[in-house]
Amino acid sequence: MITAGKYEGQHPLHPKARQILLDAFDQGWADPAQISAQGRQAQALLANARESIAKSLGLQVSEIELWGEPELISPIAIWGAPGFGSAPFIYSATERSEIIGMRAKSKQAFEISVDINGAVDLEVLAQTLQPNSIVAIQSANIETGVIQNLKVISKAVVAQNAHLHIDASASGARFIKPAYWSTLHFDARSWNGPSGVGVFALKNGARWSNPLPHTKPTRAPNSFSIPLALAAASALEHWIADESANSARLKSLIERVRNHVKQTISDVDIAGNAESTLPNIISLSFLNVSSEQLVAALEVEGFSVASGSACVASALEPSHVLKAMGLLTHGNMRINLNHDVQDGEITKLLALLPGIISKLREN
Amino acid sequence: MPIMELSKKIKESEIGQEVLLISDDPATAADLSAWARMTGNEIKVVSADNFLITKSN
Repeated sequence: MITAGKYEGQHPLHPKARQILLDAFDQGWADPAQISAQGRQAQALLANARESIAKSLGLQVSEIELWGEPELISPIAIWGAPGFGSAPFIYSATERSEIIGMRAKSKQAFEISVDINGAVDLEVLAQTLQPNSIVAIQSANIETGVIQNLKVISKAVVAQNAHLHIDASASGARFIKPAYWSTLHFDARSWNGPSGVGVFALKNGARWSNPLPHTKPTRAPNSFSIPLALAAASALEHWIADESANSARLKSLIERVRNHVKQTISDVDIAGNAESTLPNIISLSFLNVSSEQLVAALEVEGFSVASGSACVASALEPSHVLKAMGLLTHGNMRINLNHDVQDGEITKLLALLPGIISKLREN
Repeated sequence: MPIMELSKKIKESEIGQEVLLISDDPATAADLSAWARMTGNEIKVVSADNFLITKSN
């Protein structure tokens, strides 16, 4: 299935994850903080879910917390980093808007540019880093799929005794942890889990303090939905199994799209290069094409694609990610492949696309 | 869209001819350098929403 939007979360839940969700809602659940038998049962279910998620993501259970508002994870992770506000805050030009927005709360904020392939300028990053800096970098970009060189970045960060927050919300379970990190952000939608479940990870031993008023010992308000959390854990397990069976196929399908577009359509910007982008995302910008018309034309043919262009839907500004890369922001379409995408869907899309682009350009 | 209008105008122009593009569309400034890279034309930024384009090929 080819999906629109920034997350595979629009994909239906795995049937087993869906059944867990429905059972939990049908049967109700007790407060896991209660000492009753039902409370203890809920606690055990939740503990299993947390263990499963931690194991699946290669983390310790003690390092993770589940959050019911995933988009708040990165801002709060950054806000709670030691010295945030006065310490240098360094982020890349293609970070999610919520992260870039944190510059308003910092007295020293440094935006690191990216090259045309979306790679952070490592030389400038190294020159900008100071002791005790707070660095926020995405592992991969949700719009373009561009993967950052976290191995080099984390080495530079640890050399300065700095704090490294990694936004892994786009990578999800594809995220490869570098040797050094301080906090992480995951979103269950990235593994076809339900929306409304995120994972905040704080490395054991890393310094961080909750910037929100709090009265409980947990870092998060702990107000996430238990059924959704259980479903997220199940979805993650099944996603990992599906990924091992399908990752090579997804990658070859995206390569087919990339190669076919290059060969058959002129004046197109393809975000990132094949070697350092996620295997399931591709962003294409066609010169002299209206994104709105392109999305509509594809919809008529049964394809639901997203766009980073300003004229589409509610976007008032062009994609800051494409802009930062120096790529065309108009005429943009973005596709996200799920594990169950059929080869025939891609064949059909590639057969139609050149003709659609040509027709739209004539108009 | 300003960039598409520009493309039409440049197509009708002679090499060396200049086109002044005035646009407050936030996507224009972002896209002009990409447009110049893809088409091989030259851009001179006159002000925040005024751009002078020279047809180069």
